[in-house]
Amino acid sequence: MAILKTENLTRLFGGLAAVNHVNMEFRENEILGIIGPNGAGKTTFINVIAGIYLPTEGKIFFNGQDISELQAHKRCRLGIGRTFQLVRPLQGLSLHENVMVGSLFGKGLSQREARKKAEELCEFLGLSDITRDITRMTALEIKKMEIAHALATQPKLLFLDEVMAGLNSDETMEMIDLVRKIHSQGVTIGIVEHVMRVIRELTDRVVVLDWGEVIAEGPYAEVSNDPRVITAYLGEEA
Amino acid sequence: MRNLRYLLYIAILIVLLTLPIYTGVYLLNVMDMILIYLALALSWDMLVRSGQISFGMAGLFGVGGYAAALLHLNAGVNPIFSIVLGGLAAGVLAWLIGMAVLQLRGMYFAIVTLALAEIFRLIVRNLPDLTGGPEGTVLPSSIFAGNSTKTYWLVLTVAAVSVMASEIFRRTRIHFALTSIRNDEIVAKSSGIDVFKYLVFIFVITSAIQGIAGGAYAHIYGFVSPEGSFSVDFTLLPIAMALLGGMHSTWGPVVGALLLGVASEFLKLKIPYGHLLVYGLIIVITILFFPQGIVGTIGQKLKKTHTA
Repeated sequence: MAILKTENLTRLFGGLAAVNHVNMEFRENEILGIIGPNGAGKTTFINVIAGIYLPTEGKIFFNGQDISELQAHKRCRLGIGRTFQLVRPLQGLSLHENVMVGSLFGKGLSQREARKKAEELCEFLGLSDITRDITRMTALEIKKMEIAHALATQPKLLFLDEVMAGLNSDETMEMIDLVRKIHSQGVTIGIVEHVMRVIRELTDRVVVLDWGEVIAEGPYAEVSNDPRVITAYLGEEA
Repeated sequence: MRNLRYLLYIAILIVLLTLPIYTGVYLLNVMDMILIYLALALSWDMLVRSGQISFGMAGLFGVGGYAAALLHLNAGVNPIFSIVLGGLAAGVLAWLIGMAVLQLRGMYFAIVTLALAEIFRLIVRNLPDLTGGPEGTVLPSSIFAGNSTKTYWLVLTVAAVSVMASEIFRRTRIHFALTSIRNDEIVAKSSGIDVFKYLVFIFVITSAIQGIAGGAYAHIYGFVSPEGSFSVDFTLLPIAMALLGGMHSTWGPVVGALLLGVASEFLKLKIPYGHLLVYGLIIVITILFFPQGIVGTIGQKLKKTHTA
């Protein structure tokens, strides 16, 4: 069963189609990789799904419900969670409070319940030293905080937008394990990533975007040998 | 520690309530003014916590004042009740305006609120049959027949309501919503926060406080006029107070209002009209040297020594 389905999804910025007639399906409980060169429209695609931008054309169905015109905060409450490519910690809130925001509003929990949930999530992700000033956290800790924030909304479908960027190889390994742990809790995951090792190890299926269009789709081993994908990444042979 | 703090609050409250016993009329009048500004400074700060800056306080203050005065005069509404209705009028007006204006952000919102305050003043000025036009309207008498003790208790109540509203905003989920919106609206939306709803809500509440303050002011002085009730002082002074004391808190604007209020009273006697210059200097010095304000800076110092 498809948890999320897009039909002919298009988003124009002026004359530029950042997302161009995309038909994509997220199957329940899979890890789908979304890859493509810089500027291929991966983040815009997530933004259109999350409701930050409305589609210019086409439709989005979440669990069979047409959400194409739904406001972003309502999509979050339905169960679409996401992290941000450029991490955006909320200044003026502690680590736990940052995470609490997700369940306070995404799930309508009380402050007491949200705090408990935040503690659980931080423990689940291996985030300790909770009183720490969020301006002094490491890259890995901030990424984990972002994931905890997104998980606090209890998403059914979670988009991870380049969560491995800026991490060293040990940290990347740790993050891969975490994504598996999250997935094993029954969360469908859409992962945008440039680190191919991550895509190879984690994903069931991969969709390749280029100039806003889907140019290939399938298991990583197949897609990575597709001549169109190689051309998109490496350019035309002279 | 916590009990000690509550004891301190109760002590302050008792001192404030019993102030008329040991002070004269002059000091009570000064306190009236300071407490009205305190309510305005707090209401401004409460909106700032969402990242939106209003320069329109004088407008809603004036609307509240006129509504209270005219309801009392023309419809015979009890003065106290008319003050509450003044707040309600400002709140409803803010709701209507907010639905349109709160699509704007930052500087654009700030400029529009500034323009709206001026538009309210001009409308009031040009409706002589209803408002008395440029001369304004004089009430038959001040509230409580000018009894300074009762008047003081009235404004103390207005200030206390503002402090309570601000603390509720600090302690409930509203705090989380506003802080998220101030930081990053996209993150807020993606966390399930209905950004527009919260912005309208806080704009209405803070405007109602400004309207109540305006109503109280109108009844204390017994008249309303376009230049007096919509004076730019009601916008600029509260902002200076909140900046001086420290934004995004309850105690910042309170401390700022007390310090600047006392200072302004003193300066008015020493250098008439020169006090505005001093306000300007205070704002510049605050922003340059301790942008977090007095309360914010002290709080940070305490935190540092605590962790060290």
